[in-house]
Amino acid sequence: MLSDSMIILRKELKRIFTDRRSLFFLVVLPLVMLPAMYSVMAKMGEVKDSDIASFRSTICLYEGEGNSGFTTPFIQTLSELNTNLRLVERDELDAVKQSITGREQELLIVLPDHFGESLEACETFDISAFYNSTADYSVYAYEQSQQALLTLTDEIVRERITGRGICDDVLSVFTINGSMQEYDLAPEGSVIGKVIGILLPFFILIYLFANSMKVGLDSVAGEKERGTLAIQLVNQVDRLSIVIGKMLSVMMAAVVGAASSVIGLIIASRYFISMFGDAGPAMSGYSMSTLSILQFAIVTIPLAVLVASIVLIVSTYARNAKEGQGMIMPIYFAVMIMGIASMQAGDVAPVWMRSTPIFNSLIVLKSIFMHDAAWGSIMTAVLSSVVVSAVIIYLTLRMFSNEKILFRI
Amino acid sequence: MLRVEDLTKVYEKGGRGRKETVRAVDDVSFDCNPGEIFGLLGPNGAGKTTTLRCISTLIKPTSGNVYIDRYNVLEHEKTIRSRIGFLTSDMKLDGFFTPGYMMDYFGSLNKMAKEEIGRMKDLLFNELQMNDFVDKKIDKLSTGMKQKTAIAISLIHDPEVIVFDEPTNGLDVITSKSVTDFLRKQAGNGKTVLISTHIMSIAEKLCSRFGILVKGEIKELGTLKQILDRNSTDSLEDVFFGYVLPEGGSGVGHAQ
Repeated sequence: MLSDSMIILRKELKRIFTDRRSLFFLVVLPLVMLPAMYSVMAKMGEVKDSDIASFRSTICLYEGEGNSGFTTPFIQTLSELNTNLRLVERDELDAVKQSITGREQELLIVLPDHFGESLEACETFDISAFYNSTADYSVYAYEQSQQALLTLTDEIVRERITGRGICDDVLSVFTINGSMQEYDLAPEGSVIGKVIGILLPFFILIYLFANSMKVGLDSVAGEKERGTLAIQLVNQVDRLSIVIGKMLSVMMAAVVGAASSVIGLIIASRYFISMFGDAGPAMSGYSMSTLSILQFAIVTIPLAVLVASIVLIVSTYARNAKEGQGMIMPIYFAVMIMGIASMQAGDVAPVWMRSTPIFNSLIVLKSIFMHDAAWGSIMTAVLSSVVVSAVIIYLTLRMFSNEKILFRI
Repeated sequence: MLRVEDLTKVYEKGGRGRKETVRAVDDVSFDCNPGEIFGLLGPNGAGKTTTLRCISTLIKPTSGNVYIDRYNVLEHEKTIRSRIGFLTSDMKLDGFFTPGYMMDYFGSLNKMAKEEIGRMKDLLFNELQMNDFVDKKIDKLSTGMKQKTAIAISLIHDPEVIVFDEPTNGLDVITSKSVTDFLRKQAGNGKTVLISTHIMSIAEKLCSRFGILVKGEIKELGTLKQILDRNSTDSLEDVFFGYVLPEGGSGVGHAQ
């Protein structure tokens, strides 16, 4: 029986891996997509940051009434920023606010009327800063101005203290992480591991599914449509061999795609470093031990079998590849939601997630990439994938013996 | 020898609460001997394909049985398959492969040794005049070449019984002639040949005996002469249309 499956597998693999289009979709695309995506994101981030920093934004300042003589330090502080400072009158305020909404100007700072009296009486008063949170230049101008005004507050407090004959040392109680040593005790590469651990299981699942769909829907539904399945069924090969041969080919295509996406993400991880900036050894090079690679394979292969069996049962039920595609899409979306949910699961996933097939594989993969996978969790994930796959393969086999399904027109 | 005995196939149609049964094939019996070409004639939906699918073990009869010598489709599926070469009417081979590769593939599925596959490839490629395109991708072949490839594939294991569903459908006259010549030669070599068709001219030239199948029932069975004599006409087409067209449409009154 196995030799018959191997004959079918060889034919299916020849079909997949000697066709340039299939090869591009299954192997090349997952390999280059993530590095390309993240390199573009990193480059765009750099360009955006330098563009914002070099932009001279316009800050409008309303000095308030009855503040003569008190606004000078505010004007001086804001003038030191790389901005155009424009003093505005009360009747201009609404127009300035509209221009900020319309992205024509970046910031409006409104000093309250008669704040000098509050200042002298050491009372707290409120300064309003109007900005547009959807405009990068406006947000940047707001952050810069806020920082500058907080520094001005510190200076005013310092003057008040020293004016009363108290040394300004009283303002400082302690600092946190004030020396030059490394405080982040995360193992070397662990931050990259965490980023990879969050992203990669999702991408692996997506590629397992996408590749299985690409190959699996044609594998049975396509052959049904072309009438070639009937010819195979009237040969000396039993139906289980056909199911196994086709499933192995779908699974191998899925695993190759997933492996490509793993390599692609590891290449892409160097761009994470440039995106996150220099933050010590936890952000430096990431590596996986032989044990981690072994654990990865132990979890991924049964997961690929499970995904391949889901695609194959849909392909067997469908009248043709097009109908199969329509049937598989809701399942694909459900799986995508599972992938996204697993990304948000946190370090300790809820019990229901850890005991649900596919979910538990994703969570275990995440912990493998973060080098803290427990063998118990690995075996639970593997076992659940194997059991569900076996049930689906059994049902597929039943369908292969059901002429109503096999010759549905 | 191929023998179809009281073959009935009932399909269930419709969903829950609206189920209805359709008798696609109703108590059909006929036989076909070595060296003979038997033509199963009938319009679309008459039950020809269902009958051939039952014979080829693709689907199970609801009742009745099909025998090849002492083996039957209910008990000896695998043996029957090893003795049958089946061609479906709607087969479109995967365009990515070459005829040569497909022959190797189906030969392997039939548990044939490499040498045996090679011998059958040479034989069939020569007889079907395929040598010029055996290494071309099927996508690049004409309809006739594709049909010849499908025929060669279905016969790679050198079966005793050849069951072809509409073998000349959609072919040009030249390819159609080469296919009918090939089938004639196979019968001449002692093979049992059963074809289904709705093209009367081909059936008349090719087949030695006929069964006319209408709405799942065999209406006529016998040699051309027997059928024509029974219906007092000199045209098989008239007999056929007499069953297919509304009453009196062909001008032939049937002997019941």
